[in-house]
This record gives sequence, C-alpha cells and structure tokens, in this order.
Amino acid sequence: MPASITHASLNKEKHVKYWLRCLKTYLPNAYTSNEAQRMSLAFFILSALDILGALHTKTTASERAGYANWILRCQHPDGGFRGFTGTMTGDENRNEWDAANLAATYFACASLAVLGDGMERVRRRECLEWVRRLQRANGSFGEGIGKEGVVEGAEDMRFCYVAAVTRWFLRRGEDMEKVEDIDVEGLVKWIEASVTYEGGIAQGPFHEAHAGYTYSGVGALMVLGKLPRRTSDSKDEGRMSAEFVESVTKWLVLRQTLMLHEEDELPMADEEPPDTTLESFPPTFHVQGAFPVSVADAILPNGLIEMSPHDLQWAGFNGRCNKVADTCYAFWVGGTLGMLNREHLQDFNAIRHYLLDKAQHMIGGFGKLPGDVPDILHSNLGLAALAIMHDPDLKSIDPTLCISLSAKENFEKSFPSQQARGNLHGSNTAKSMH
Amino acid sequence: MGKYSDSDEWVDVVPIPQDDGGPNPLAAIAYTEEYSEAMSYLRAAMAKNEKSDRALKLTEEIIRMNPAHYTVWLYRADMLFSLQKDLLEELEWLNTVALKHTKNFQIWHHRQVVMSHIPTLPPRETAFLALMFAKDAKNYHVWSYRQWLVRHFSLWDSELPYIESLLQIDVRNNSAWNHRWFVVFARHTDSKKHSIKNGDADSDVPLEIIEREVEYTKAAISTAPQNQSPWNYLRGVLRKKGIGLVELKGFAEQYADLEKEDEVRSSHALDFLADVYAAEEHKERSGKALELLARRYDPIRKNYWDYRRSLLALDQVSA
Ligand SMILES: [Zn+2]
Repeated sequence: MPASITHASLNKEKHVKYWLRCLKTYLPNAYTSNEAQRMSLAFFILSALDILGALHTKTTASERAGYANWILRCQHPDGGFRGFTGTMTGDENRNEWDAANLAATYFACASLAVLGDGMERVRRRECLEWVRRLQRANGSFGEGIGKEGVVEGAEDMRFCYVAAVTRWFLRRGEDMEKVEDIDVEGLVKWIEASVTYEGGIAQGPFHEAHAGYTYSGVGALMVLGKLPRRTSDSKDEGRMSAEFVESVTKWLVLRQTLMLHEEDELPMADEEPPDTTLESFPPTFHVQGAFPVSVADAILPNGLIEMSPHDLQWAGFNGRCNKVADTCYAFWVGGTLGMLNREHLQDFNAIRHYLLDKAQHMIGGFGKLPGDVPDILHSNLGLAALAIMHDPDLKSIDPTLCISLSAKENFEKSFPSQQARGNLHGSNTAKSMH
Repeated sequence: MGKYSDSDEWVDVVPIPQDDGGPNPLAAIAYTEEYSEAMSYLRAAMAKNEKSDRALKLTEEIIRMNPAHYTVWLYRADMLFSLQKDLLEELEWLNTVALKHTKNFQIWHHRQVVMSHIPTLPPRETAFLALMFAKDAKNYHVWSYRQWLVRHFSLWDSELPYIESLLQIDVRNNSAWNHRWFVVFARHTDSKKHSIKNGDADSDVPLEIIEREVEYTKAAISTAPQNQSPWNYLRGVLRKKGIGLVELKGFAEQYADLEKEDEVRSSHALDFLADVYAAEEHKERSGKALELLARRYDPIRKNYWDYRRSLLALDQVSA
C-alpha cells in the first residue's frame, strides 16, 4: 500500500452555508438559462438543506410558508405547475402560452413534501387529469399541452419518471384513486422498449443507454410496482423480469470508472476535427482491418489493465459507456442501485473519496468535474449520492423520490394511500433478490 | 431606458413585468436588465398572442440569452408556421444557436418540429450534423435527432458507411456503436408499434446480417480488446438471434486464457468467458474468471464480481 493519504471529509458547515446562500440571495446571472426550470432549482435547494438537517433549523416557519406560497403561485388553474413565474400575465389577462410543465409539476410536489406544507392546496384532481392527457398512444409522455390540446415535447424517459412519481404523490385517498388513471401497461411497455442491448435504459427506443434515463426508467417502474418481487419471477403480472434486474445491475456497476478527466478519455489521437462531410464517406463497406490501432491499446502490454491500489482510491461514475466521470452520475447510478437495494455493489470508498476529495468545493457544494465550481444540480446530487451510501452526517433518503425518508414518511402520514402499499422502496422487492 | 422601451417599433406595447409574488420567491435569479426587459415585452406579446416579425425577433433575442426557455420555443414555432416563414432560413439560424449551446435539447426538438414541415432533406443537413459531431462525437441530443432524421427521410443506406467512418476515428465512441445498432436493427421496425424492443431476440433478422455484425465487431475488438463498447455490441447481436455466447468461446479466449493468468488482455473477455463457462456448467472455471476480475483485472467492481461468483453457488458444489 502507498503511504496513507488523508482523505477529505464532508464539510457540512460549508455545504449548509452554500445552500442558504442559494435559498436566501439571488442566484448569479449565469442561472438565467435555467430560468424555465426554476422549480427544479427550488427543489434541489430545499431538499439539500433537508438532507443536511438544516431546513427546519435555519429557516423560520413563516419563511417556509412563503416558499410554499411561491410554489403554489406557479400552480396552473387547469392543473399542473409552471416551472417559473415568467410566463404569467395576471389572473384576468391569462395567455395561452402560459402552460403547466410536467417536470415542474413533479418538482413542485416533491418540494411541498420536503417543506411539509401546502400539499393540501394542490388541485390534485385537475393535475391527475392533466397528467393523463399528456400520455401518448405509444405509452410515452410529453411535457405540456400546446395549442388545440396537442401533446408537446420530445419522447423522453424523464417525462415518464416525473409522470409516474407525480401520480404517486397525488393519486391517494378514495376520491383521487377514482380519477381515471394513466395507461400504466402502455407506459411499462414503452420503458421496456427503451431497454437497450447494453442493459441500461435510453431516452427512448433505440437511443443510447444513459444513467439519467436509466434512473428515470427504473424509478418509474419502481413507483408503479412493476419491478419483479423475487429472482425467480418470470415476466408475469406485467412486471419486468428478474433477468432485467440482473442486466441493468451489471450495466450500472460498469459505470464506475477511473477516467476522471477529459484527457483520460481515449484515444482521441487526432486533434483536428475530422472532415466528415458527405463527400468524404468511404465508398465501400469495410469489415476487416478497418480500425487503426489506438494509442491506448498499443501501449497496453499484457496485464497493464491492472491498477495499483493507489489508482483505485478515486473512482467516479460516468453516464454512458466510455465517458469520463461526472458528479451527478454518482447519484443517477448509485440511486438506481439503491432502488434495487444493491447500492453495496458499488465501490463505496472509491466513490466517496471521488466526491469528497475531488468534487467537493472549498466554498461548499460539489462541481460537475474535479476542480469545477459548484452548481445547484451537482451539489444536490453529490449529497444525495453520499446519502445513498448511508453517510452518518446526512439524513437517509428514498432513492426513488430523491427526498429524505423523514419527508416521505411525513407525507405518507398526511396523505395515506387506499391501496396496499409496499411498491415503493423495495420493501419486498430486491432484499430477497440476492 | 432600454432596448425595447426606447424603440419606435415597440412604442404601442405596455411591457408586463415579472410578478414573483410574496417576499420568499425560490431560486430567484439576478437577471440582466436586458433579459428582464426583453421578457417583459415577451409577456406583453404573448398576452395578445401577437404574431409578427418583431415578436419573432424578440423570441430570437430571448433564446440567445436563455435557450432552455421551453415556452418561447413553442411560441416561436407557432409564429413561424402562421407567418409562413422560410423554414430553411430557420434552420440556418438554428445552426448558429446549436453550435453555441451544444448541451441544450430544446434546440433539437425545435429543429425536429421545423424539419417535419420540410418535404425533402435539405442538402446541408447531414454536413451540419457532421460538424456537430466533429465538435462532440457523443452529443446525445444530436444522435437522438439523427435517428429521427434517418427514419423520417428513410436515409438508411448511407448510414452504415458514415458510422464506420466515425468508428475508424474513435473505436470507443459508444454513441456510434449504438447508432450502428439502430441502423442495423431498427430499419424494419414500425416505430408506432410496441414491437420495437431493443434487445430481445428477433428471429426475423437474416443470419447474414448477424454474421456480418459479428465479424465487424470481432475486428473492432482485435484492435482494442479493452474496449467495452464492441463487447456489449457483440453480446447484443448474439442475443438478437438467440445464439449462445459459447459460439465465440475461442475468440474470447485469445484475450483471456485462464491458464495464462498474467497475460489477460481484456477484462471484458474474462467477463464474457465467465458466462460461457457457466453456460457450459463449468462452474469452477467460471468462478476463476470472476475471481481474476475481482482480485486483479477489474478490482473497482470487486463487490459485483464477488456477487456474481456467489450466484454460482460454488461452495455448495464443493461441499
Ligand atoms: Zn453531471
């Protein structure tokens, strides 16, 4: 073993300071391009303070009521939430471009659950009916309703996740459970069609497997109760197979990587952008000998893929095969493993050291890459990734909802579901899977 | 004082300022005056549902400052079509925005909306996508858009040579491998139907295609054995036709021979062989491959390889 290295620990005080600054002062101008997603920033801020155990000690009850009021101000009269106040033109002067947005609706519900305030003022019936209208015939969801009722937005796995989780938040109690439901079977089929040959889940069918979309797909299946209960389960009751769980697990653990910097990404020998206009296409279909031997492989003699213990101390997660590590994937991957109760299959120490030694910033928060300045998304997901690994300084979180277990429990107490639960957070799912 | 309040063009419009409500807004942003003003005029234009050249120009200004503003894209698309604007011009403008904001996905969705109103493939489209890939050959949004474009204009024939040119530049480009999968296996599927399962066995795929893909992938592996992408692709292709991994045992053993522990050249070959040996009921051998992965060739995943080894139930066998 190399001489012992002192690893950094979680600088909780600095993180709390960072988040209070985000909460109580204006965000820098650079966040302008996130304006339409202010509700997601709001969620990341509130939830991070909650995970740090500071939300209810560092803010007053009246401040928290004010936050809930701002969220509810973004509620659309016809159901759902806007992502920000920027399209509102007054109650008497409403305009047709001022529409609710599905992702914003999920973030609004999750934020209200974290605040423990305001959920009773959500127009739950209108919202559930609106979510149902966002579903397409192929099972996927759009992000909003446009002119003449057209479903707007790309076909995107993230919209499936936010639809399924919004449904989980709102479809509770006798009245709500009578509201006409989304096409759950169609949704599951669309997710299934988006599982790729690599074993992960993509934005949609035939796209590339990606950790963010895998988190979204598995998360949707989780809240819908469509993951298998036991390893022996074949594809029954419209659930996914146990084989799916094994292959997605493997794809997820393969995301842990020692490539932490762009220059580690191999083998871009060519510095000049290639000339790839139509005219330069090779005229024939090559099979044999089509590949130049890469620098990386040329210098790899037998056995060189072995790593020294020193190299193994820091390993992040990438979001796709052969990409460099990025802080947020520590959560998208770790959280998905957490849903399957398989978070212990990561190398805990290596990811912890990556997050704390390399991505944690001295002013608090986490950057996207080692040395980057912190931003709201990566700072939240860095904390959430540590919480998945049961960091003693943080509250435990529910990996599917990405909120603290205490926030989830309080919410469920206030809004009990009629149906027998047990679908969420694998109470009987994956514990028996190994 | 401002760009719009000072201009004669907007003199008839009363701007609508943002109203963030009470004293505790969340995630409030320190906008520039320029952005605040432009947004106030946008609200006024949207409130009247104005469709005009000046409003179109206003959306351009706002997108330049905030390309992730989903509402402004919808408003712009609606104006483009109602004012019957030149859509090729719109594409040219989109090119500049896309090159500047490479991580934004609204741009690509809008491009798809615009392109679906254009009857034939504009001649510069593929060259522009090639330029995007020259900047970042793994840009997810551009690849997603390209899939749509290939289906929409039925561009299947030129795709395979193009993908091969990209893989020649970087054989580790997993996005290119994935696109290859799409080109080979999505061609005859109906995107409207549910039967487009990505990875499942599909007996309709002709054997020649499977053989061609296997040969291509083997060639790629031989130049870079420690490259995850083609190993994943190979497994996918075999599964597509229900062919067992055992068929490629000899190939994989070239890169990982259990009798020569010091000379393993690919952890992915070891993993492949662990499955081959397990399928052959050679559990001890399978266990040994997994142990080599855990202890020596892929220790970052030790917990996982140990878990896989536990599934073999070796202890029960030897007991
Ligand atoms: Zn990230």
